[in-house]
Amino acid sequence: MICCKECIDLLYDYIEGALDQNTTKSLEEHFQDCPPCIAFLNTYKSTTTLCRETLNQIEIPDEVRRTLQNFLKEHKTQQEKL
Amino acid sequence: MSFSQQKEDKEIEEALVRDLQAGNLEAYDKIAELYQKKIYGLSFNLVRNQMDAQDVTQEVLLTLFRKINTFQGKSAFSSWVYRITLNASYMKLRSKKKEPNISIDELLPSFNGAGFQQEKIQDWSGNTESLLFTNETREVIKKAVDLLPEKEKVVFLLRDVEGLSTEKVSEVLELTVPAVKSRLHRARLFLRKKLSGYFEEYNSRKGEA
Repeated sequence: MICCKECIDLLYDYIEGALDQNTTKSLEEHFQDCPPCIAFLNTYKSTTTLCRETLNQIEIPDEVRRTLQNFLKEHKTQQEKL
Repeated sequence: MSFSQQKEDKEIEEALVRDLQAGNLEAYDKIAELYQKKIYGLSFNLVRNQMDAQDVTQEVLLTLFRKINTFQGKSAFSSWVYRITLNASYMKLRSKKKEPNISIDELLPSFNGAGFQQEKIQDWSGNTESLLFTNETREVIKKAVDLLPEKEKVVFLLRDVEGLSTEKVSEVLELTVPAVKSRLHRARLFLRKKLSGYFEEYNSRKGEA
């Protein structure tokens, strides 16, 4: 029987599907008997989803986009003159 | 990402690098089109300021054009782009006063002698749909990520936010795969704990209302 500490150490590989069959089985047995670890697993997974959905939505603001376009144009003109 | 998609991306990258190295100016626009959102997004998550992220993006684009002949193709071109972006972001941060990081160990889970969890764990994962789109939640998430120590933060941003594979992150950061995994796991534990504090309070506030 594995304990909570081992369970949490294994979470990463469990989610990746990288554990062998026996370890997966013992981990899932632990989950059956341990609601706190299920809650931990669920919130561990949610943490990643929430952070990703919040942070990878960053769009370039229009004014920055314009600045970058001008910057690029200027740089190209300089290069063409060379 | 499928294997054929990966292969296609790799071919596009290689063609782009050849064009750039040959001095083809049209390649500049393609580079900007393909990478500026990634460069801006990653640097914004590190410097957290529009002006600074804009500066970093310009600088990275310029470095890509100027240094393209030093790119030897030992790693993927996109890994090189990410590395340059990280360096430029760190340079930007170094010029600013920095708040001290808190120790990550204080926020890792604690266990009793028998290896059982010591704290009460609340499962807030079912409520995240409604929480996700409030501005308050977004701010809490950004602040929590800002508090991560640098080593863990960069792994978290590349792997979980940008969605790179563990292998690719290890290439960008020149770390072993086990080191990437261990830093990522610590980052997730730290963030889980930070977000738990917030969501538990949020849920009890809602319960009272």
